[in-house]
Amino acid sequence: MTPGLAKTVRGTLRSLPGALSLTVLAVIVAAALLAPVLGLPDPAEMAFDLYQSPNADHWLGTDNFGRDIFARVVWGARVALVVAIGAALLSILIGSVLGAVAGYFGGWIDGLLSRVFDIFLLIPTFFLILLIVALFGASLPLTIVAIALTTWPRSARLMRSQVLTLKSRVYVQAALAAGASHWWVIVRHVIPNGIAPIITDGTILMGMAILTEAGLSFLGLGDQNLVSWGGMIFEGQRHLRLAPWMSIAPGVALLLLVASLNLLGDSINFAMNPQLRTRGGAPKARTRVAPPANEPEPTAETPILEVEDLRLVYTAGDRKIAAVDGVSFSLPRGGALGIVGESGCGKSSLGSALLQTMPNNAELTSGTIRYDGKAIVLNGKPVAEKGRSRIDALRWTRMATIFQSAMNALNPVTTVRRQMMDALRLHKPGIGKEEAAARIGEVFDMIGIPRSRMNAYPHQLSGGMRQRAMIALSLILEPELVIADEPTTALDMLIQDQILGEIADLRERLNLSLILVSHDMGAVAESCETVAVMYAGRIVEIAPTRRIFDRPAHPYTRTLIGALPSLTGPLEDLASLPATDTEAAASATGCRFAHACPAATDLCRAQVPPAVDLGDGHVSECHYAEDFAAEAADPQEARA
Amino acid sequence: MRLLRYFLFRLLQMFPIALFIVVINFALIHMAPGDVSILLAGEGADPQYMEEVRQRYGLDLPLYQQLGAYIGQLLQGDLGLSFRTREPVIGIIAERIPATLLLAGTALVLASVLGVIIGAVMARRPGSAMDTAVTTLSISLFSIPVFWLGLMLILLFAVTLRWLPSSGMVSIAGPREGIGYILDVAMHMILPVLSLSAIWLGQYVRLSRASVSETLAEPYVTTARAIGFPERRVMSRFALRNAMLPIVTVLGLELGLLLSGAVLTETVFSWPGLGRLIYEAILSRDTPVIMGAFLIMSFTVMLAALLTDLLYAALDPRVRL
Ligand code: SF4
Repeated sequence: MTPGLAKTVRGTLRSLPGALSLTVLAVIVAAALLAPVLGLPDPAEMAFDLYQSPNADHWLGTDNFGRDIFARVVWGARVALVVAIGAALLSILIGSVLGAVAGYFGGWIDGLLSRVFDIFLLIPTFFLILLIVALFGASLPLTIVAIALTTWPRSARLMRSQVLTLKSRVYVQAALAAGASHWWVIVRHVIPNGIAPIITDGTILMGMAILTEAGLSFLGLGDQNLVSWGGMIFEGQRHLRLAPWMSIAPGVALLLLVASLNLLGDSINFAMNPQLRTRGGAPKARTRVAPPANEPEPTAETPILEVEDLRLVYTAGDRKIAAVDGVSFSLPRGGALGIVGESGCGKSSLGSALLQTMPNNAELTSGTIRYDGKAIVLNGKPVAEKGRSRIDALRWTRMATIFQSAMNALNPVTTVRRQMMDALRLHKPGIGKEEAAARIGEVFDMIGIPRSRMNAYPHQLSGGMRQRAMIALSLILEPELVIADEPTTALDMLIQDQILGEIADLRERLNLSLILVSHDMGAVAESCETVAVMYAGRIVEIAPTRRIFDRPAHPYTRTLIGALPSLTGPLEDLASLPATDTEAAASATGCRFAHACPAATDLCRAQVPPAVDLGDGHVSECHYAEDFAAEAADPQEARA
Repeated sequence: MRLLRYFLFRLLQMFPIALFIVVINFALIHMAPGDVSILLAGEGADPQYMEEVRQRYGLDLPLYQQLGAYIGQLLQGDLGLSFRTREPVIGIIAERIPATLLLAGTALVLASVLGVIIGAVMARRPGSAMDTAVTTLSISLFSIPVFWLGLMLILLFAVTLRWLPSSGMVSIAGPREGIGYILDVAMHMILPVLSLSAIWLGQYVRLSRASVSETLAEPYVTTARAIGFPERRVMSRFALRNAMLPIVTVLGLELGLLLSGAVLTETVFSWPGLGRLIYEAILSRDTPVIMGAFLIMSFTVMLAALLTDLLYAALDPRVRL
């Protein structure tokens, strides 16, 4: 059993619906298997005690022929299970083969087969099955075949998409390169890997098959020689008033079996993708606190943003991950700070903490954030005043954000103009139509979006224009502070430069304070006078931009700069960027970078490095910060 | 303009599908045991009519010409004569459509509106005890055989409590016009609509729960929250609006499934619609009616798929030719 499979099985068993449905299924399967040896009365045996209500001899009563209903229900389980398993297996077999063929070979074969799958999805299968059975005569095998023949496109589609993704994987390519034949590759690699979601769907398929057979039997198209639950209800219907138990029992059995199958499929699905259960959601209510007593009034010197010892922890299952682990900095009014690090270093989590838009599984466990001298987060808790969170009073009017527009940051079904209008109206409810339109036009001009594109939907704009639209949206209410989270990622180089230039320019003109989050040192160099480098949840080095490029005092910073060829010319032998293993880093006893640091010593591995103050606002968390700073300075000076 | 072009384009795409369905029908008739003319004319038809059928469908000609003749007949709206009543099948079916539309339409609107609302509310608190309970409940709901649920409702409300009528669309001696008639029909509708929408409700709750929680995790929702929109607006303007897209798609795709539920429900409640017609046709082995009903159902589903496509295109500006 592969670890993934084991995890799925464990997850399924642990969830209440999963365990419950498996139990019910086990009982039904056992009853069906043991039916002949349970010593039940013959389900077909007629007797004189007609219409007996449930009693000690006949637990579920007898029907209009005096047959024992309990025995019939138990025997009916066999028919239901045969239908379920037979139809699902056959359907999955046909579907997987055709789906695998379509996905694997692609081209016209795929085109043709996909078209057939689509057409089948549009055919009302129940009526087709009904027609087949009506034309060919009612029998159980025929019903099973008919169900399989009309439902196989479900598995085919699943298999096709599985194969399409798996096909590109390395090991399949490797097998092909090694000269394995196509069929062998499919059977050997693709099918075993692609089968998991198909099995999940199989439980749903089984439920559908059972209900279909029951529906047919209920319409009088059931196999007359067998005891089926649908058929029992068909007969019971006519005696509903006299003997309701005739219809109640088989219906309950049907419901239990089908619901168990569906619940099981659902539980497996959730066990395979645990995030499905908790993704999204409305922001949860967080405990808010009152503002601290006697906060000093802000002066011109008060930093626009001050962050102290901020910690943000994600909960994933029973694991806790500290994405932001004690971050402090302060941004003067009108200043610009770049926060740089690889993906996963916590820089975006930091951004979401500043904006208070963290997902529900994130918690601020400590830290204070002050905006213009007023605490908006105190000891990790949002500060509320007169029943309203302070952050809410700042949103968009004073503090706005630029997200990465390539990532669907703009509502795809609304025009850009409309989105700006909505934001404007939200915060200035009294604003007139014309005034609003004028303001929107003004911002568009400022950002350099032609007014003719105002009524475009986001998808109609080019990448660069879409990013500009996002910037325009952020500036619509003239905020003081803008937090830009990867505003140029996924754009081509030329456009990146343009947009960064525009951001720097706007900052000057509008006297904005700016926080620019990026994975790219080059991107922040142009617009920010201070750069903070994040690694594994901490700011490991912070310094004025010039300084950090000239005299990086942390090995990690040096590797980051190494990835940037042009700005100051190549520094000496530059290591390539090591991957952040946040978890390993956070659990390290000494320096978090030690596992990847080329200069790591025993001291590094044993002791957390102190924050070394190198003067002029340059701080580095490295045992050897001073040495690095001095060493890096040399070639620069030599060159000068 | 965009929508019109899109509509025409999709309409064109429907032709091969329609042809496919007709061919399936044709192939089934020919593969089925027994004489094709008997299947088309119905068992025990008089020889004269039988001969007429053979002529009309060209049953003595090669197969491909027969297919041509068959399609020709269908294009003229000729689905054959009902073996039982000797009336044109198309007329018999047309007569039954309004009742089915009334029943299925009411249940569909009820189930989808309620389902979307409940699902959206659950999506706000994913993983909560309430959410798990509602998910489990909706799975159980659509695991109930609809005809059985109908019977149980009859047992409770018609037989035991005697509150509501158990079958038909109108009372035998009830009023035939005015408000009294409407009320009478409404009373008869309650139970069938209840059973049908209960089953569908489960589907829609799940569908909308999944779809809304998906959109709530989208970046534009985060943008909306950062802008400061109150959560109610975030839900309606951003999340629901976008979540409607997959909901509408599935709605269109599952219509066939829904119709089968309607047929079974009509059977239980003797509702004078298409489903009841199919049931009667099965009992009297009236194959022309069963085949006609299959064709009509298929075309209805196609039409519905076309309409949902159009609705989708209207909702999503990204859809282009
Ligand atoms: S403290 Fe040691 S391991 Fe950490 S960055 Fe400095 S030299 Fe490298």
